[in-house]
Amino acid sequence: MTDSTIVVLVGIVALILLATALLALRSRLTFRIAMRNIRRSRSRTILVILGLLVGTTIISGSFVVGDTLQELELHYTYLGGGLTDEAIYAVGPSGGYTYFPYSTYTQIASSALPNPSIAGMTPMIIDVTQALDKSTGIPQTNLNLIGVNGNQSQVLGSFVADNGTSIAGPAPGEALLDDQAAQQMDAVAGNTLVLFGRSSLVVTVQAVVQDNLRGAYLTGGIEGGNVFVSLPTAQTLQNSSGLINGISITNVGSQQDGVGLSSSVSASLNATLAGIPAAVGLTVHEPLQDAVNAASSAATSITSIFLVLGLFSIVAGAMLIVGIFIMLSEERKGEMGMLRAIGLQRGDLIRIYYFEGLFYSVGSAFAGALLGVAVGYVLVYAFSLLFAGGGLTATAIFQSFTVTPDSLVESYVIGFLLTLITVVVASHRASRLNIVRAIRDVPEPPPPRRLYAYLAYIGVVVAALGALLLATTLHGSSDISDPILGGAMLILGGGLIASHFAPNRPVFTAVGLGLLLWAGLEPLHRAVLGTTHSGGIFVLFVEGILMIGGALLLYIFNSSVLVDGLIRLVGNRPDRTAIVRIGLAHPSRQPGRTVITLCIFALVVFTMVAVATFGATVGSNLQDSIVTESGGYSFVGVSPEPIPNLPGQIANNSTLNADFANVVPVVNGQVNVNVTGYSFNPFADSLYAAPTGVPAASNFYDTNQFTFYATWNGMTPAEVFSALETNTSVAVVDQTYDQPGGAVAGAPSGPHPTTAPGSLIVLGRPGSDATTQVRVIGVLTEELITGIWVNPTAAAHLGYVNQTLYFLTVRAGVSTTTAANQAKAAFYRSGLVLYDIEADLASSIASTQGFIGLLEIFVGLGLAVGISAMGIVALRAVVERRREIGMIRAQGFTQGMVLKSFVLEYSFVTLLGLAIGASLGVLIVYNLSISATAAASGVTSLDIPWLNIVLIVVVAYALAMAAIAVPSIRASRVPPAEAVRATD
Amino acid sequence: MAETVVGGVDVWKVYGTGEAQVAALRGVNVDIRRGEMVAIRGASGCGKTTFLNCFSGLDEITRGTITIEGTNIQALTDRQRSEYRAKRTGFVFQSYNLLPVLSAVENVEMPLLISGIKSKEARHRANEILTGLGLGDRLHHRPAELSGGQQQRVSLARALVSRPAIVWADEPTGNLDLEGTKQVTELLRQLNQQFSQTIVVVTHDLEVANACDRTLLMQDGQFVQ
Repeated sequence: MTDSTIVVLVGIVALILLATALLALRSRLTFRIAMRNIRRSRSRTILVILGLLVGTTIISGSFVVGDTLQELELHYTYLGGGLTDEAIYAVGPSGGYTYFPYSTYTQIASSALPNPSIAGMTPMIIDVTQALDKSTGIPQTNLNLIGVNGNQSQVLGSFVADNGTSIAGPAPGEALLDDQAAQQMDAVAGNTLVLFGRSSLVVTVQAVVQDNLRGAYLTGGIEGGNVFVSLPTAQTLQNSSGLINGISITNVGSQQDGVGLSSSVSASLNATLAGIPAAVGLTVHEPLQDAVNAASSAATSITSIFLVLGLFSIVAGAMLIVGIFIMLSEERKGEMGMLRAIGLQRGDLIRIYYFEGLFYSVGSAFAGALLGVAVGYVLVYAFSLLFAGGGLTATAIFQSFTVTPDSLVESYVIGFLLTLITVVVASHRASRLNIVRAIRDVPEPPPPRRLYAYLAYIGVVVAALGALLLATTLHGSSDISDPILGGAMLILGGGLIASHFAPNRPVFTAVGLGLLLWAGLEPLHRAVLGTTHSGGIFVLFVEGILMIGGALLLYIFNSSVLVDGLIRLVGNRPDRTAIVRIGLAHPSRQPGRTVITLCIFALVVFTMVAVATFGATVGSNLQDSIVTESGGYSFVGVSPEPIPNLPGQIANNSTLNADFANVVPVVNGQVNVNVTGYSFNPFADSLYAAPTGVPAASNFYDTNQFTFYATWNGMTPAEVFSALETNTSVAVVDQTYDQPGGAVAGAPSGPHPTTAPGSLIVLGRPGSDATTQVRVIGVLTEELITGIWVNPTAAAHLGYVNQTLYFLTVRAGVSTTTAANQAKAAFYRSGLVLYDIEADLASSIASTQGFIGLLEIFVGLGLAVGISAMGIVALRAVVERRREIGMIRAQGFTQGMVLKSFVLEYSFVTLLGLAIGASLGVLIVYNLSISATAAASGVTSLDIPWLNIVLIVVVAYALAMAAIAVPSIRASRVPPAEAVRATD
Repeated sequence: MAETVVGGVDVWKVYGTGEAQVAALRGVNVDIRRGEMVAIRGASGCGKTTFLNCFSGLDEITRGTITIEGTNIQALTDRQRSEYRAKRTGFVFQSYNLLPVLSAVENVEMPLLISGIKSKEARHRANEILTGLGLGDRLHHRPAELSGGQQQRVSLARALVSRPAIVWADEPTGNLDLEGTKQVTELLRQLNQQFSQTIVVVTHDLEVANACDRTLLMQDGQFVQ
């Protein structure tokens, strides 16, 4: 949020307060009455403020979580980015940096360094190395090799050894290890390392350095590890004498200042490169700016998730505010009637409520904003316990706890305005009273016919706006919530118009049903709206609110039918019938009053159940996807260079042979993919080809268990793989080729191309004229190993014969960790890196579940709204129904029967709200699971977490019953004579 | 001579404590016989409603003895008193005290359900009595949809539907116009004679009092006549 926005928000609040002060001066009597109303019952004032602060608490809590995550992300982003604001390099076909002469650096430096925004430039080698600590005997693969001279890299900052001494840079023939790399090999200063690159080299560990701005470069100190050597040492290791593969540019000022200069410095550097013939192919990148943007975007996304889910609780909070003000107005109906009788205008009553509401708004928004900080603190604490791992420690997460003044001000102002607007609307409603009926406490009659005429006019406007929104967004690619909202407005507007001409019950029953079906039926969306719309988490809010609104309309206009059915069900015993009739009379005959509580519970439980079901569904689909994504293999392995006859080497090694049952080497390379109709051809992707004619145990075509999302002409998976094995003009693609309009993060040339089975695509080798046309005969279900599978002859035609990708299957009963360590020990020199797909997916599942759990806790806060509402409604009922209670007691109701009827009434309301919320929560996730987006994301089945849902329902019900316990007991103890005397 | 249905000996009801004590009933002695229709009259605040509440079992007394149909109601537990009220008494109040969320017939059948009558039978009897009182076309209307006189007739029907031994009526015509007052008074008298029910009416209205068998005048918490 910008400073000017904050100023505007604060200005709005200040204006409101100033205007209120002036109003109070002009209308002192109403102000005095309002202040006395606040003071008349301290406990009531506290109760009202507690009820009102929930919305602000949720907003504030969301912001605090967002601030903290942003702080955390930025911390590690800046740590990993170091002081490299721009980088100059070229990416080769294999994905690594291309080497170029050192002299190119000197040319670039001589032209660029005069730029006053540039503090310095550092020539570097950045590559991958394998290492063996000869002192500990522990190897490690896939380490970052960073070759840099100390005297040339002063602008990048100093290394700090673990003992605190400052080191300018690695000495020739020695290596600096960052904490991560040192831990992986158990290395300490003085140990001897063997480094493996394009050649091998023995070096001494000069020092273990801290993961500070310099030591944590590229890794952020979280994942991987760094080996820093001098530039000549790196050149020797990589057989690249006189060559480097990257230039780091550091801008003047702090890291934040430097990032701010990135755009202009990049432009200047691009101009410089354009003037140097030797620099052709080199490009300028802004790694720190890109990483900061990505980190901010990720944090904003998470904040959005919390805010959107919190919206349900915020709406529930607004409903609670309305409920509280209805309670206050009902309670003071008599005195308000008297005030009107002695001459106060309706506007005066509004002012009384307004002054009182403003006081509550100021106080509750303040308390809510602070309470939100506490909620955020608890969430961050939970987050630190759930997500700590690797280099990311719980302490680091927890220390990132951040509350920015902007967020506090923003949540205060939003909470204040939200509360105040609701209060004003509720005050307007509360001030509309008939003086005589108010004084005599006579119930209000049904609304006059004139009201329905007004509703019809409103209906025309709503329907027209809805039709416009629907028409303009029906076939576009806008967020799908737009046309859904448009359709809903059309239905609602139509209903309001119809209510002028037809009885309410059929009209609004139809509207309720219409909203429920329109918002809740995914196949209907597909049929009417197509599949071109985008969708975000806001859809959840729109559909959720509409479905719950529809369900509530159905209840309001059909409650008596529902309750009469229930009475018939349980009404065998006369005394039970009496209790049921009294208990259910109010929810069924005065559903308007019940609906606020019902709505609050439905909203809160909807989000809780939706989040839980979503988590379970994603988790179970991830579980299901393990075989789909891994093809049934235990590991996917990669090596920078081919490992000759890896299956044979493993078979001949007694230890490894006992670990691995099957090893499949695969040719791997980079291709340019040309897809007909794709605007951004060519699309760079990976190429895979499994060898043919090998023994069955190592034959990919016989051993893989990959499944297909779609095949050509209904071919079976076996037929597809058989064709791939024998036919050089066919191909199989991963599922990312079947996602309509799907953008791929990091895709350099635009959105991912799409293709269907049967299509022809042209593959070409980058930097070569070799091309081949192939027909896509299958789209794999997996999308972990992205790219295109062809016959090895087709790959060879493109010049790819090296096998650098491997699928390995561990024998039954062998630990994957043990097998991986033993394979690493045997092949670390070749740089073999094994990825345990199952473990990675299990880790994803655990993270997902952790995050979902966190969200559940967060949305569960909304239960506080429901409980407050229930308690307030029950307290009010005891006062309001005192005469009724007295009368039924006079007729012979025992205390126990009164208690039972109260418990029954609130159980009915709570359980109905829970049932509506839970069923719609499951429904919305079901819709998600059958949507096109879900299928493309690998979510194909719904998993309902019954135990979790039962737990949510039981806890919510128990809390609601706890909230009504005291009022219910008080109701049962109302002395009948006093209750009767009070009114007669 | 008919048996005593409501008996009271030296009944005191004191509200508050210390200096704030107010004695609403000061040693009331009373004897009401089965089938009698008795009016209780007196100035506002003389203790008429307190008498009704205490003798009907709605409220506790401070001292003395109340017997209803030979039972000392002070010795009953709250549950027993509730059961007693359900089976043996009916109430009519000035402001009808109908349950606003129930229809006329549902209001009337409530005492029957409480006293254990099956739903079907209760509905039949409620329909019957309401029809008898001229409300056959208002059975399913809610109180808000009925006039004051109609509401009071529903209230009467509710009090009488379970054929209670005693009907306690507190200013039953207080909210009614002359015509309504006449109708309700005639109804009470008619039902008293038809079913020999004991009816105790607290009233300011002389016409109602005149329709009763006898009138007890209360003054400062005591019967003086």
